Amino acid sequence: MLREYQEQYANTNEQFVFVNKIGVVLESDNVLFKIAKDSSIFDFHLFFESLESLFDGNEEEETKFHCIHIYIDSDLYIVDILAVVKRAGVLLIIKNLTDHYNSYQTITQTRNESVIKTELTVLKNLELQERERFKNSFIQNFSHELRNPLMSIMAISELLADTKMSNEQLQMLKFLKESNMNLRLMLEDTLSIGMIDAGRLEIEKKLFGLQRFFEFIQFTYTAKAKNKGLKFVCSWDGKIPEFVEGDRLRLFQIVTNLLDNALKYTEAGTITFEVQLNQKRANKASVQFRVTDTGLGISLENKEAIFESFFREDASENIKGTGLGLTIAKRLLELMGSKIQLTSELGKGSDFYFDVLFKYPLLSSIEAIPRKNSQEAFIGSLGKEQRKFKILLVEDDEYVQTTLFKILLNTNRFKIDLAYDGALVFQEVVSNNYDLILMDANLPNVDGIQITKLIRDFPFKNIKDIPIIGITANAYQENIDQCLNAGMRKVLIKPFEKEELLKAIAKALK
Amino acid sequence: MLKSKKIVVLGHFGVGKTSLIRRFVTDTFSDNYTVTIGVHITKKVVEISVDKTMSLILWDLEGTDDIASIRKAYLLGTHGAVFVFDISRPSTFQHLKEDLRIVTEQMPDIPLMVVGNKSDLAEESELKNRLQENSISVDFLTSAKMGTAVNELFLKLATLLSSDA
Repeated sequence: MLREYQEQYANTNEQFVFVNKIGVVLESDNVLFKIAKDSSIFDFHLFFESLESLFDGNEEEETKFHCIHIYIDSDLYIVDILAVVKRAGVLLIIKNLTDHYNSYQTITQTRNESVIKTELTVLKNLELQERERFKNSFIQNFSHELRNPLMSIMAISELLADTKMSNEQLQMLKFLKESNMNLRLMLEDTLSIGMIDAGRLEIEKKLFGLQRFFEFIQFTYTAKAKNKGLKFVCSWDGKIPEFVEGDRLRLFQIVTNLLDNALKYTEAGTITFEVQLNQKRANKASVQFRVTDTGLGISLENKEAIFESFFREDASENIKGTGLGLTIAKRLLELMGSKIQLTSELGKGSDFYFDVLFKYPLLSSIEAIPRKNSQEAFIGSLGKEQRKFKILLVEDDEYVQTTLFKILLNTNRFKIDLAYDGALVFQEVVSNNYDLILMDANLPNVDGIQITKLIRDFPFKNIKDIPIIGITANAYQENIDQCLNAGMRKVLIKPFEKEELLKAIAKALK
Repeated sequence: MLKSKKIVVLGHFGVGKTSLIRRFVTDTFSDNYTVTIGVHITKKVVEISVDKTMSLILWDLEGTDDIASIRKAYLLGTHGAVFVFDISRPSTFQHLKEDLRIVTEQMPDIPLMVVGNKSDLAEESELKNRLQENSISVDFLTSAKMGTAVNELFLKLATLLSSDA
């Protein structure tokens, strides 16, 4: 009988086994494995033990099992098994496909590993993005919450300075103001790094006076260096255009971060700020900025690491700050299409330099640039008639409200009405003739942006044209743009200084 | 005579089916991932109670991202099934309901254990949240690596099969 079946299915890699309905081996050609006659096929391998249910199938019923791993005397055979129910038992045809399946295993292994790796990478990226979102939202909320109290502390310190105080009190006030300023700078640093990380910081291209920028740096850092017993040398190339297009604030942030860093890590000697013109072509000028110190210096192995957030070459507690200054300088320069360079020797000092490409305008177009005036000049510019301007102050934070109220009243040029709730503002605006509105962007019920839009849509000119100056603790550009698009003339970011406020008001009232 | 029961262990690839069986049978674990093709069959005798044992014949099936493509022949004569997914890879449990529907359609009336493996890769609370978010209820959260709940899983299945017998 077996011969008959062999003729039908013969193959050199195939073994034919015939078993009766209770699994006893009746015949086997033993091409692949030795399976003894009269033994139970269920004892030969576990695979067959699970086949019992097939044995009662209909005659000629075929079931094929692919890729079964069978170990015989520690040799692995990967086989396909065809079970065919016959009248007298079950025919088992075992086909050895070990080589074929080994190739398949290699391909599958590569494919599966690649799929899993990709999946895990995607998950990891999602997790990192989620963390980044959380971090940025935390920084945003944190800085927002800090701005209101900081604003009050700064403004009240300024108001205190106008009162009669003893020398000791003046000294204490000076420390208080310095501490406030440091806190504000740290807050700005933290917010900047959050904005850069979130891709929300855009470099502006506005005309500003580079010459005045240098003068300001010279004035400020000569005093700062002197306080620490250091010499500050500041020089700039006379061929550099007086006015350039760029982001004054961010350039200031880069330069002051480098200078503050130099001051922090230099105990004796000189800090140098040097600006050179690389070249001028058409209406573009490439300018090199260089900050050199005679301080601690940076070891070779830390030359890259010092640009990482919170890294410090000297971890001693005497060095203050967030450890973000150089990171911010580097990242801002990258946004400007530039790169910070460093040469340094441990114990001898450091030399940071970078190039910035500025566009500069024709001379005739710079006439309109306003020169900086003093606070008195701005207030004076409100007009010779000493009428008091009527201002509506819309602010829900009690401390900020009190502070602004006091600053404005001290000038003796304003009458102030207060509103706490966005929903009540419109009523006030309609029933009073205000010269100006100071509007907090984040108010309960209806926010300042919505109210501004409502006012701008009002049919009567005396109401729709009231100048509105926004106040916000949310320093992100998109928030500022929202305020401006709604119709605010100017947006002041908390904490701001008295002079900044008065200047904005004077400009709006002109 | 010792009664044998065929258990199929199935699920997507890379979820740790082979590792679960290896942990259960030989109490070992390897970090190296070796893909299973076709089927590997092993056996372990479990003691259900003091005088009651059962031989579990474990069919470790090749993982696939399409459960419907599992060869029907592998499922013939199955007494119990274990569906395994990887708690750290959402793709292995995103369509769990549909996967389980296919499995129960092909093997009706048998005990089925749903297992979230690699529980060592997440905190318990995070894991519960993740499962809740995906409306998944599991019978066991296992870690083949740490040996967590592996024996309990197979013992539970054996006990169910014993009471069915």
